Amino acid sequence: MHIPDGFLTNRLAVSLDVVSGATILYAARRVKVDLSGRMVPLMGVLAAFVFVAQMLNFPVLGGTSGHLIGGSLLAILLGPMAGFLTMTTVVIAQALFLQDGGLVALGANVFNIAAITCFGGYAVFRLLGGASAKGKKLLIAGFLAAWVSLILSSTFCALEIALSGAIPLTVGLTTMLGYHAAVGIIEGMLTAGVLNFLLKVRPDLMKVNGSAKFGLADWAGALIFVAIPAVILALAGSSSLPDPLETLLASSPLLFSGTAPEELSSAARLTDYLIRAAVFIVLVAFGFLAGFIARRRSAKL
Amino acid sequence: MKRPFHAGEVVRTMTDYVVRITRLSYTYPDGTKALEGIDLDVPVGERIAIVGPSGAGKSTLLLHLNGILTGTGSVKIMGSNLEQSNLQEIRKQVGLLFQDPNDQLFCPTVFEDVAFGPLNLSVPAAEIPRRVEKALNDAGLDQSIRSRSSHHLSLGERRRVSLAAVLAMEPAILGMDEPTSNLDPRNRRHLIEVVSGLKATLIIATHDLELVLDVCSRTVLMDQGKIWADGRARDMLANAELMEKHGLEVPLSLRSGVRSN
Amino acid sequence: MRHNFIDRYSALDSPLHVLEARTKILAFTGLIVAVLCIPVHSGVLFFVYFFATAILMGISQVPLGYIVGRTLFILPFIVLASLAVPWHGLTEIGVLFIRAVLCLMLLILLTNTTRFIELMRGLRKFGFPQILVMNLSFLYRYLFVLTEEAMRMKQARDCRRVARAPFRKELRILSSMLGTLLIRSFERAERMHSAMLSRGYSGDFPVVSPRRFSWHDLAFLCGVAVFITLTFWLRKT
Repeated sequence: MHIPDGFLTNRLAVSLDVVSGATILYAARRVKVDLSGRMVPLMGVLAAFVFVAQMLNFPVLGGTSGHLIGGSLLAILLGPMAGFLTMTTVVIAQALFLQDGGLVALGANVFNIAAITCFGGYAVFRLLGGASAKGKKLLIAGFLAAWVSLILSSTFCALEIALSGAIPLTVGLTTMLGYHAAVGIIEGMLTAGVLNFLLKVRPDLMKVNGSAKFGLADWAGALIFVAIPAVILALAGSSSLPDPLETLLASSPLLFSGTAPEELSSAARLTDYLIRAAVFIVLVAFGFLAGFIARRRSAKL
Repeated sequence: MKRPFHAGEVVRTMTDYVVRITRLSYTYPDGTKALEGIDLDVPVGERIAIVGPSGAGKSTLLLHLNGILTGTGSVKIMGSNLEQSNLQEIRKQVGLLFQDPNDQLFCPTVFEDVAFGPLNLSVPAAEIPRRVEKALNDAGLDQSIRSRSSHHLSLGERRRVSLAAVLAMEPAILGMDEPTSNLDPRNRRHLIEVVSGLKATLIIATHDLELVLDVCSRTVLMDQGKIWADGRARDMLANAELMEKHGLEVPLSLRSGVRSN
Repeated sequence: MRHNFIDRYSALDSPLHVLEARTKILAFTGLIVAVLCIPVHSGVLFFVYFFATAILMGISQVPLGYIVGRTLFILPFIVLASLAVPWHGLTEIGVLFIRAVLCLMLLILLTNTTRFIELMRGLRKFGFPQILVMNLSFLYRYLFVLTEEAMRMKQARDCRRVARAPFRKELRILSSMLGTLLIRSFERAERMHSAMLSRGYSGDFPVVSPRRFSWHDLAFLCGVAVFITLTFWLRKT
């Protein structure tokens, strides 16, 4: 999910910009040092591949369609650093070409869609022994890596928006996780499907990332990567940067909201909430229906 | 066995050969033998065609000329062996035109694609526009194409831009892989004119036998990784038995006697 | 899927288009940050920035319909935000909406008044890592090639199917398509690398001569800087 500008507090957005920027610089240095010049055209072409793949839709239910995000697939094929840089390229391109995701929010989007999916997916893949597996075990590792990567990614996205107060965590998590748990299955199956295809046709391509070492320096980097956002969040409230979003939504609690403004009785609050939920569900159902009808109509042509 | 045709060849001194290939063999990582015992000497200024059926190893041979592939045996360019240390120098001397222009045009504009080579060779920045201009001229292109993006060009234009990109490095030797493939008659004609006007030593791998007759004096016949014949183009291509044995045909213009000797 | 969605309006010839990429990157980023810093209850400031953005849109000659169409992408977020939380009143939703829309419009203006190539050069000069800029350039270049290949594959697939196949089969077909596209990408990258090596590539990418920074750029930057400073200073008074 690409976050547009205006839904994150400035402090959070800027700190994620810094974190993503640092990760990019680090990955750029690592990829240059590790591999010969052939990585550069490869990353570029694969970035185009992911961009195109994300546009190849695949009808799921009614009007919705799924597609491959590709983060964990890239990390498996190219190694986490190169995979991350490639996904970053895609995210930046989506922001610039399609205005999918904001400019100040770019750091957050890179963090969620490139960093978390690639590093997280790769970690799961390695933990499940995917790197040395063959056949079914490899495919299962790939599937789970992809699925988990989407879960993690959407969790962070919901967390960031919740911490900015725009959408509370309960709602954010349920929608994001619910949606991405389902979409993640498609991602997992497509990832496994593509890996399977590669194994049959060009098994040599699976070895491109060959020497993806995850040394001490990388562990230190990973630790810092997690530590910095935590520190920043801990310091929340102590900065004097102008942060209108916070003042706007100052009344809303940050995590696990559930307390309503005092003047409403609990019955009134519940009714209000139910009405909003109902409207929301109707809108979503409407979206499905509209898409379904549109697809039926275009199939008839 | 390898050199049945040698009509009219003048004896040359060692220094005249720009390319000397001796017993070159190459096997792909998956075990396929691509080249076996290739011997080829190309004197300066010659225009030589490499013909043969698909899979004969023509493209593979070209890739050995500038060190992209390294096989067993020896490849000497301008008298020097190909080594890691002198590859940059060799690539200044040997230009390769690949079959698919899309693989060679990867910069956002034509200007940058053509300038890519010279920039890599550390040609001073002030010199670059002149080189690009000259290369575009030599390739038969209008200067206005400079600011266009290659994905907006037709195949014929892309071919010529790829050629310009190689010519910009001012190589002494030019290797070409199927330069006229997929071109419509007009573009093909234009390309042949351009190629005919080039001053470099030409090594052209092609299926287009009419092109061979138009441009090249000498032809080498390859099949299954080996050289089967090496001599004057007209004589070899008119040899119906040889042609058919190696999956080729006598070109129409020779069959119908259209070409005058 | 026409692939001119990227650069459709960047080749126009408005006063904004002629500015250097760096100028626009700085100016529009500044404006976006300014919008994000507008205090929530100053409706006046929002109006002023909206007016300024409208003027810029007019100057840029980018069609209004196109800009408005793109802002619709925001809607799902707004809907979710407004419905989900009982204490988001109408003013709050409105402010959220206008902030997001303004930032989006400014971003659209930036990307549609600057040719992609120029944008890349500008980013590079600001210190964007070389490798990222190269990746973006290759992505831009090969997007078209790959889109064509994907479209051809899709057409070939469509020619051979009668009705919608069951889910598992569809998945397998898509996996094969993606797999094929992926392999072709690898092979293309390999050939590209050979072509690059043949033209002397040794790992570094030299930069071609930059565009001149003219007084237009200076004027625009100063104008934007003055505007931002004034608006925020005036608010304080």
